[in-house]
Amino acid sequence: MKEITRRKFLKLSAKLAAMMGLSASAVPKIAEALDEIASGTLPVLWLQGLSCSGCSVSLMNSEDPGPLRILTRYLSLLFHSTLSTATGHTGMEIINRSIDLGGYSLIVEGSVPLGMPEACRMGEELFTDQLARAAMKADAVIAVGSCAASGGIPGAENNPTGAVSVPAFLQEKGIQKPVIRIPGCPAHPDWLVGVIAHVVKMGIPPLDAEHRPKMFFSRLIHDICPRFADYERERFAKTFSDEGCFFKLGCLGPLTHADCSLRLWNGGTNFCINAGSPCIGCAAEDFPQAVSFPMHTKKSSGEVE
Amino acid sequence: MIKFTVNIDPITRIEGHLAVRIEVEDGRVAKAFSSGEMFRGFEVLLKGRDPLDAQQITQRICGVCPISHGMASVLAQDRAYGIAPTENGQLGRNLIQAANFLQSHIIHFYQLSALDFIDVAAVLAYEGSDPGLRELKSWVNAQLASDAIYPAAPFLPRYEGDYLRETDTNITILKHYLDALNMRAIAHRMAAVLAGKLPHAPGLVPGGITETITAEKIASLEAMLSKLRTFIDHCYLPDVLETTAAFPQYLREGRGCSNFLVYGAYPDSNENTDIFPPGVVIGGELSPLNMKLITEDTSHSFYSSQSGLPPGSGQTVPDHTHKDAYSWVKAPRYGGNVMEVGPLARIMVAALRKEDSALKNLTRQTLARFNMGLENLESVMGRHIARALECKVVADRSAAWIERLIPGETAFQDFEIPENGMGIGLTEAPRGALGHWISIRKGKIENYQCVVPTTWNCSPRDDRGVPGPVEQALVGTPVADDHNPIEAVRVVRSFDPCLACAVH
Repeated sequence: MKEITRRKFLKLSAKLAAMMGLSASAVPKIAEALDEIASGTLPVLWLQGLSCSGCSVSLMNSEDPGPLRILTRYLSLLFHSTLSTATGHTGMEIINRSIDLGGYSLIVEGSVPLGMPEACRMGEELFTDQLARAAMKADAVIAVGSCAASGGIPGAENNPTGAVSVPAFLQEKGIQKPVIRIPGCPAHPDWLVGVIAHVVKMGIPPLDAEHRPKMFFSRLIHDICPRFADYERERFAKTFSDEGCFFKLGCLGPLTHADCSLRLWNGGTNFCINAGSPCIGCAAEDFPQAVSFPMHTKKSSGEVE
Repeated sequence: MIKFTVNIDPITRIEGHLAVRIEVEDGRVAKAFSSGEMFRGFEVLLKGRDPLDAQQITQRICGVCPISHGMASVLAQDRAYGIAPTENGQLGRNLIQAANFLQSHIIHFYQLSALDFIDVAAVLAYEGSDPGLRELKSWVNAQLASDAIYPAAPFLPRYEGDYLRETDTNITILKHYLDALNMRAIAHRMAAVLAGKLPHAPGLVPGGITETITAEKIASLEAMLSKLRTFIDHCYLPDVLETTAAFPQYLREGRGCSNFLVYGAYPDSNENTDIFPPGVVIGGELSPLNMKLITEDTSHSFYSSQSGLPPGSGQTVPDHTHKDAYSWVKAPRYGGNVMEVGPLARIMVAALRKEDSALKNLTRQTLARFNMGLENLESVMGRHIARALECKVVADRSAAWIERLIPGETAFQDFEIPENGMGIGLTEAPRGALGHWISIRKGKIENYQCVVPTTWNCSPRDDRGVPGPVEQALVGTPVADDHNPIEAVRVVRSFDPCLACAVH
């Protein structure tokens, strides 16, 4: 695949105009119709490691701005494995050239198989090598989702790949870059879009000691839970789907910093606790917990024999 | 003789890490090798955990079809605990699964596949008033005139190829590409009404669902489904048929192994026939499903565990140095046969049964209208058509399920977790037959195995050296240009591969 240059694109627009039966005078209009759209966007290279693509799918659930507006007004999305039209070597050329030129933000989805680098490859290259060279040339690194932010499920106890978070990997490799961690399994679209909008308009948002944006992760789910009054009055749910506070079912809202209970998910439709399920702490640092620590129990711990 | 080899790595616009190497002789693919490139070890890290963690953790196998894994897991646990959901619980589960199914099929055609056929640059000729298309047009214009190294990324650059030339059709499908972004989000909202959130729903549990059914939720579900059905009937299905008409050669290319496997899904107490009847087609003959015939070969996969084990006693011991291995995907076989799973398999099984079903009837009508035979469906466009047809059947049936929900009646059945037990959960993911096998000992997960649709479809060679379904479908495909093997990726994408699922 030949490299696409501006000159080639001008030629392409002329060809397109001819194909579409437009007059020659339309060509400069097509090629030079600059408006505010092209300016002020964040060049982004998006790489996936040990991931499920759930954070990408979650991002597509963003409403106002929706995915199209995010792509046209906020991001210059150089490469994204799930969305890019470029495939095979055409895709790898974009990644390689972008890394050569630098000046992008690197968004990473998924954790890094530090203990078994062969567990993830792309473009005939180990993901660990690819991530290291992409991070070195990045202006900043955004670790989106619990896998990238803290290791997540691929990094759970007994995992066979020695998977670690992106910041842990960068530290191991001695790569120093500004890092923003956006945990959550998946990350809420607003959390990522909010960070991107902030970076585009005002720079990196205020972060806490764990490099999480304060605007989304400064409060415990329990403290802003619609069932907090139930907790205060000691009205506890006895099993799933019950009314009352899920504290005795092992709800991890008291240990999890996130704003799900105020923000809700899927355009304000619902969230775990409103749907009759305890919080499993998917945005917590130690998600998905130790093998011996259940994500939740079905029976109130007050009743367990 | 012109001979070349291309390693298409990465294959984008699918889920996950897939590479496909093709060896082309005389302009056609002579050999193909499909490689799953990412391994996490879900089956290993589930061992010793609380059984109730399983439906939460296994959903995280895949962000595109988490519900399918959650469903397979709660079905396996239902069996292990000896419980069954209430009517409300069953309907709720069906609707959660259906909603995610619709979102997956819509995203697959528009966001993942359509750009192999339609020409995004056609938007430059758009003169109408649709806000989305105008936004896209002015953005493409500005991008082309900008200094961006890759203007209009991630839509360009792309393989050069025979994209659709008809401006009106291009623009219509582009408009629906944008609408589909909204529609798939609506489908996720529909699932979230009953399951809490998507992706990765908390509310899918053994014994039913945790959400309560209210009249308000029913009204909300009806409104969302109505939009989705309109889109499926008036955009998705017509667009697939229009694309087929423009690329008739893809009703011949991409024939697979011609063996099909379906587990069935969406139990419905009101219907005699499942929406996706279970069954097996080998050599054109339909037979009942026999789970004992399923084994997983690993001789060409990166595992040192014994090859040919049944999933119930399956093992996952990673070994990236394993001799002759070229994929992290195992090679499941049915009585030693290579099997295709997914929309095409579901249609073939339904069509070959004596009994009528909505899927069989809709398929028959559509084939008659376009003067096609069942054999035309064993192709690239056939898989797209099968996907769109079953999408309509699932959406239509969902309307009946919503009507039968009863506000105020429980959707969750309490249960006890036994010290020891085992269960198999079988369902149909958007991409095909999905099974989870759980065994519980002393209240903890002793073993957990998943055999996933893309494990079947993207499997590497088995112990006897027989290639998997995608590998077989690629053989014979004409590929004109080693720099632009667009024909090959059209074949691969027709299977809707999901590699995070396949390897897990």
